[in-house]
Amino acid sequence: MRCVGRAGRCAPRELRVPRIHRGDTIALASTAVIPSTRVESSGADRPLPRALVARFAEVVGESSCISDPAALRTYECDALAGFRVRPGLVVLPRSTDEVVAVVMLARAAGLPIVPRGSGTGLSGGALPVPGCVVLGLSRMKRILEIDLDNQWMRVEPGVINLEISRRLAPHGYYYAPDPSSQQVCTIGGNVAENSGGAHCLKYGFTTNHVLGATMVLADGAVVQLGGPVLDATGYDLRSALVGSEGMLGVVTEVVLRILRAPQATRTFFATFPSTSEAGQAVSLIVAAGIVPAAIEMMDRLAIRAIVAATGVDWPDVGAALLMDVDGTAAEVEHTASEATRLVREAGALEVRVPRDPTERDVMWRGRKSAFAAMGRISPNYVVQDGVIPRSDIARVLLEIEGLSARSGLRIANVFHAGDGNLHPLILYDAAVPGQEQLAEETGAEILRMCVRAGGSITGEHGVGADKAASMAEMFSEDDLATMNLVRCAFDPETRFNPGKVFPTPRLCGDRPGPYVAHTAELAGLAGRG
Amino acid sequence: MATTSRPGEVRDAVAGAVPERVFEPVNADECTEVMAREGGRIGFIGGGTELALGSAPAALDAVVRTGRMSRILEYAPADMVLIAEAGVTLAQVQAVARQEGQMLALDPPLPERATLGGLVATGGFGPRRARYGAIRDLILGVALVRADGVLARGGGKVVKNVAGFDLPKLLCGSLGTLGLIAEATFRLHPLPEASATAMCAGLTAAQVVALMADARQAQLEPSSGVALRGGGGFDLGIRFDGFAAGVREQVTRMGAIARAAGLSCEIVADDAAARRRHDQARVAGPLRVKLTALPARLAEVDALLAPVLAALAGGSFAWYPSLGIGFAGGEVADEAAASAALAVARAGLVAAGGSLVVEAAPPGLRSIDPWGPPPPAFALMTALKQRFDPDGRLNPGRFVGGL
Repeated sequence: MRCVGRAGRCAPRELRVPRIHRGDTIALASTAVIPSTRVESSGADRPLPRALVARFAEVVGESSCISDPAALRTYECDALAGFRVRPGLVVLPRSTDEVVAVVMLARAAGLPIVPRGSGTGLSGGALPVPGCVVLGLSRMKRILEIDLDNQWMRVEPGVINLEISRRLAPHGYYYAPDPSSQQVCTIGGNVAENSGGAHCLKYGFTTNHVLGATMVLADGAVVQLGGPVLDATGYDLRSALVGSEGMLGVVTEVVLRILRAPQATRTFFATFPSTSEAGQAVSLIVAAGIVPAAIEMMDRLAIRAIVAATGVDWPDVGAALLMDVDGTAAEVEHTASEATRLVREAGALEVRVPRDPTERDVMWRGRKSAFAAMGRISPNYVVQDGVIPRSDIARVLLEIEGLSARSGLRIANVFHAGDGNLHPLILYDAAVPGQEQLAEETGAEILRMCVRAGGSITGEHGVGADKAASMAEMFSEDDLATMNLVRCAFDPETRFNPGKVFPTPRLCGDRPGPYVAHTAELAGLAGRG
Repeated sequence: MATTSRPGEVRDAVAGAVPERVFEPVNADECTEVMAREGGRIGFIGGGTELALGSAPAALDAVVRTGRMSRILEYAPADMVLIAEAGVTLAQVQAVARQEGQMLALDPPLPERATLGGLVATGGFGPRRARYGAIRDLILGVALVRADGVLARGGGKVVKNVAGFDLPKLLCGSLGTLGLIAEATFRLHPLPEASATAMCAGLTAAQVVALMADARQAQLEPSSGVALRGGGGFDLGIRFDGFAAGVREQVTRMGAIARAAGLSCEIVADDAAARRRHDQARVAGPLRVKLTALPARLAEVDALLAPVLAALAGGSFAWYPSLGIGFAGGEVADEAAASAALAVARAGLVAAGGSLVVEAAPPGLRSIDPWGPPPPAFALMTALKQRFDPDGRLNPGRFVGGL
């Protein structure tokens, strides 16, 4: 949740004093602890032995093997730039075979592996573990296969989200999940985080669009989960994989569902005196049986920041909704006019319809730049991501307002109103002693509000390093232990991304029971993996 | 003692295995009690619509029936989320949701009997999956009773939630081999204001594929499609749901597209007759198979299936043309021919990246492995099963590869 600086991206030039010192028993969030023994055994205090680095370089090539301390800084964090840990090594493989070789080498050397895409994650999912191997997938960026007739494609994990829709656009198809970072984030990262986006209200999340995957397990085995044909027999392991935050293995290919573009999309922007009327508008639209492609809400502070950052000509009002309805032209004609009527009924001050696609893009760019825009109105800010039942929006926003008043920190709200996914942005000044801590505490209190309301501690940013402690507020020990069973089935050595998601360190114990070969396997008809 | 058992009878059999004891708990707590106490091999029964599915378990000491767990625990119409116990039937959910203008967007056959727990365990679905997705796309949360009697919850009760591993989705289709599904949470959808179906009769497989492609090209958005095999080819029903004006426009345009392709389609407001025919095809027996392939390969599927249908008396075949999933079944007229034809069809489908699952078979055909060759990630599946059920007590041997 901590997002320091304006860009919030991890880059050598904006290095701050690391919060976490290598060799320490490090605390991620408040209670997620990576045992220091792991740190010691990997020699985290020192650079990795040259001979070992050379073996990785043999696999991926010198130029794809980064061990220079200055160059490693780029990989010390993801977009949660307040947490920094220097990895032992960064490798950037170009093929599944290279990934296998890297995994085997890391395993032999006893090094943890932290997979990474573009590093745009907001929860520290790609935060290195001291001395680990960061396995960056950014060079595996080929689009391998497109099958429009059957509506799927196969891509490598380093392909940029928006690149997929760009490639499909000339054919009239697209890939639905559209996280705000879609210009830079990778599909592999989307799979790890089960990324959403504004349009997931109607079209679902990454998990609803991943048909299959090829992944490399901790023992170097390459496995296929699912595929272009639906309902592969056996457990739906793809469901466990999507959203597993890099803790089960390394995805090296993904099969995606692709959709035919809708015939028509209608966007409108409506302003309201306050968030209560805007919330009421959302409720009326949903109650009318309309499923908009997206409904985004912004409050006054968020609108001001967006105006300051992007120059859109939005008025200074208490709240605004940006909404898309899509479908066939005739259907959209109906839903758009009905939604407009309901928005007015709820007390809209003004309803604007973009005149052309350019104006529409400007509106959406405004919304999608909301987080970065906070830099215009505050030196620092914390991005929070929590979910509440939609019907509770008005009440929870009032509670957040109260929290803002009590803490003295301004809180801007930008969120996916259709599914109750809040993104409060807590503004603070790191130069004022105690404010950073206060901002973090305020963010944690908002998460507790979400849990009390029956919601979730994260709707799309993931748990990562940042919210591991909050998992215990949402799930019981038994719930967490059961999730750990899934992880241990994939990665019994907890080699991948250790220390994330779970509030306390967890190991897997002995592998239960002997492996029993399937009869067909014994007959030589099928192999392992 | 909240839960006592009664002796098992033939009607309590799971995939042919009659249990020693039957428990009928009334809630999740009683389930944990039963599971903690019952140290033997356990099977689960919901509405009993898919009891023939899977290999016969080695033997069962106990069966847990979920029929008495029949409460809807929470329903928030404004949030379009419903939480219910495993034994609640689909029809029960639909009746409650309908009063609020909503529905659970699942339409498998036998909704009066099919329970939510059973639907999750078997991954149940109907034609609407084309638009709304499978049960994994509709489930939000789950309460699972593990083999050791521990109650674990996964997911949540909001549509958007990425906290932790996605247990609810992982359990979809796991056939009671990872634990007992005691409660489940689903997202609901608005009931469509209007519906209409374009019925096009006597199509070849190629025409089915081409017409669906034309509809997609024209940016039509059907909610479902069903191609039913008859003597004269496929009868294809393409259904549209939504607001009245939109539905009218879409089905009219669909008719025009079909005419342009030289096909004649009738537009019907009520497709109940076609739906009945579809349901019959889905529950046909005693042989029932499920086939999967890429949607555009229907002609190959049809050719592979023809010898199977020829070995049946009154065989039926329903195909979901945008999903690439079909169901065939009927009375077996010639067991030897059916068995040989199934093996050939399975080999052909598997080679094409698909599958053939025998969902039910008469005694003479039960030697066929219902699942076919183990999937590529079978070792990983074995590891998962061992983590959740280390002693192999839950529906032992019933699932893929003896899991």
